[in-house]
Amino acid sequence: MTYTFKLNDQIFKVTFEENDGQIELEIEGEKLPVDYRKIEDNLYSIILDGQSITLGVFKKGKKIQVFLDGDLYDLESISEREQRKSSLAASGVQEIKAPMPSRVVKVLKSEGDEVTKDEGVIVIEAMKMESELKSPLAGKVRNVMAKEGDAIEAGTVLMVVASDTAPTE
Amino acid sequence: MFKKILIANRGEIAVRIIRACRELGASTVAVYSDADRRSLHVALADEAYHIGGSAPGESYLKKENIIDVARKSGAEAIHPGFGFLSENAEFAEMCEKAGIVFIGPSPEAIRLMGDKITARKIAYDAKVPLVPGSEGAVSDVEASVVAGEIGYPLMIKASAGGGGKGMRLVRTKEDFESALRMARSEARSAFGDDSVYVERFVEQPRHIEIQLIADSHGNVLHLFERECSIQRRHQKVIEEAPSGFISAKTRKKMGDVAIRIAKAVKYKGAGTIEFIMDQKQNFYFLEMNTRVQVEHPVTEMITGFDIVKWMIRIAAGEKLPFKQGDIEMNGHAVECRVYAEDPATNFMPSPGTIEYLSTPSGPGIRDDSAIYNGCEITSFYDPMLSKLIVWADTREAAIDRMAAALKDYIVLGVKTNIGFLRRVMADEEFRQCKIDTGYIERHPELINPGERDIKPALIAAAIAMENSTVSGPQSQAAAASNWKLFARRVGVTRSPLA
Repeated sequence: MTYTFKLNDQIFKVTFEENDGQIELEIEGEKLPVDYRKIEDNLYSIILDGQSITLGVFKKGKKIQVFLDGDLYDLESISEREQRKSSLAASGVQEIKAPMPSRVVKVLKSEGDEVTKDEGVIVIEAMKMESELKSPLAGKVRNVMAKEGDAIEAGTVLMVVASDTAPTE
Repeated sequence: MFKKILIANRGEIAVRIIRACRELGASTVAVYSDADRRSLHVALADEAYHIGGSAPGESYLKKENIIDVARKSGAEAIHPGFGFLSENAEFAEMCEKAGIVFIGPSPEAIRLMGDKITARKIAYDAKVPLVPGSEGAVSDVEASVVAGEIGYPLMIKASAGGGGKGMRLVRTKEDFESALRMARSEARSAFGDDSVYVERFVEQPRHIEIQLIADSHGNVLHLFERECSIQRRHQKVIEEAPSGFISAKTRKKMGDVAIRIAKAVKYKGAGTIEFIMDQKQNFYFLEMNTRVQVEHPVTEMITGFDIVKWMIRIAAGEKLPFKQGDIEMNGHAVECRVYAEDPATNFMPSPGTIEYLSTPSGPGIRDDSAIYNGCEITSFYDPMLSKLIVWADTREAAIDRMAAALKDYIVLGVKTNIGFLRRVMADEEFRQCKIDTGYIERHPELINPGERDIKPALIAAAIAMENSTVSGPQSQAAAASNWKLFARRVGVTRSPLA
């Protein structure tokens, strides 16, 4: 079985094969003999090339969190169709959503303003801290929904940005 | 000693205080908000009372509600922890009036040290070194005169400030006016007060603080220093005791100075004098925190002195049974604050459910925590999950021990700074104690280490997918007896193991 994973806008293909109890994984064309055991539901032990690696794993639907060496990786298992869609995302129309319940402190861009990739566009406050939301692409601000002082729920669309190559509405 | 104590706080500090009360034989009363019904402090306390909505303003800051609970439950004393009402003079006064002991200093001492300008004046009168700057709040015109006198770089700070709000670093004369305007506007929106003061900026400053403990019989002792120079967003992340930087002579000077401030305000309880220090060990008074400090455990580890227990004993009128000369420090302790946050997105908080938790243990390891498998990290409160503290005989050994302990810390469900902390422990500059408050900014590679081998993560993800599609728990569930399935459907199981 071959799985396609998305991790930070990158796509990885992993093939999982089990022959006579021996697991063979192929990552991006590289074959790797792997021995694994499930220690607990959320804890795996992997032996890869003699390296003993313990990982935390939490799967919810298509989303998989992996805790490796102190860092948490958010992977998503995607289909061929979704893969094509996601490769288009960097050039297109993107919504900027509130990552958590919070308050809008400042809207840094107005409709029609130019934005560069990773430029701060909105400042929100939650858990006693201010955070900056960044534009996922280079282009222009198409819509601004957020108003300063708004109390917002997680997932609320605050702004829409579009790359210059994106079709107009 | 008190028979019953109310803890007006939540999270790990509430748990820490409950444990101290238990050891002292006092029963405990927890208070909780809507969001905290399932929190650990509620489960551990002997009694628990709901005090309002999830936002702190509707619960943990509701003075009347908390005093009501103390009255109804018959608690004789209230421990405020840190944050919330811990430095609120009005609350301390209300406790007094209600005949309840506030575990902390007098309302007067809180008021005097709580106002930064008054605190600075007290320190000045007690001949405590101060960073050169304006004497108190200044008008725009005065500010630029003072700026001209002390020179650049300088800092503009909000009088009512804290947590880095209303603070501006100004490097050149040209930037002064706009920085002053921004500092005032930030101060106004954060504290409802736009008064600011101006002072010299200390280059590459270290943050070093002295822990004090004072009883109501006039005894004031210091418990040496803590170094808290590793900060992000002006908040401490890694603390240690003792500092690996200062000499015994500086340590003694700082201790003496700190005691002078405490005596000037007839201080009682645990308190901390914070100093900023330059690279030549010149130190200047910053502020006093009139409460227990988040990082108090590192001091406990090197002195064997239980700060939280002694706060309670002192509030009950007990006398400190030792003198300054009786207190020794031994070895080295390091604390890492484990936060639910994403270092890669400027340490943005990461609320959610703890889906899996595995914490380190072993000799010299202490985890002051309030989280557990399945607990919810809401966006209403500070995102600190726990404080991991280690002790060893030297600084180097303590850092090695912390590095080893962090390897055993696994959290799923929310993003944490554990990877970042691990990289700090391995960093050569940190290990050589070349640290100052700009350390994190100077080391972006600790936040984004660049190329990493993610193969194991991909392997694990593939295994998780494979397990959930072909075999695994689901197929076993199908093989379970119909009786068990029936029991699950109606929600009746004889025992948790059924």
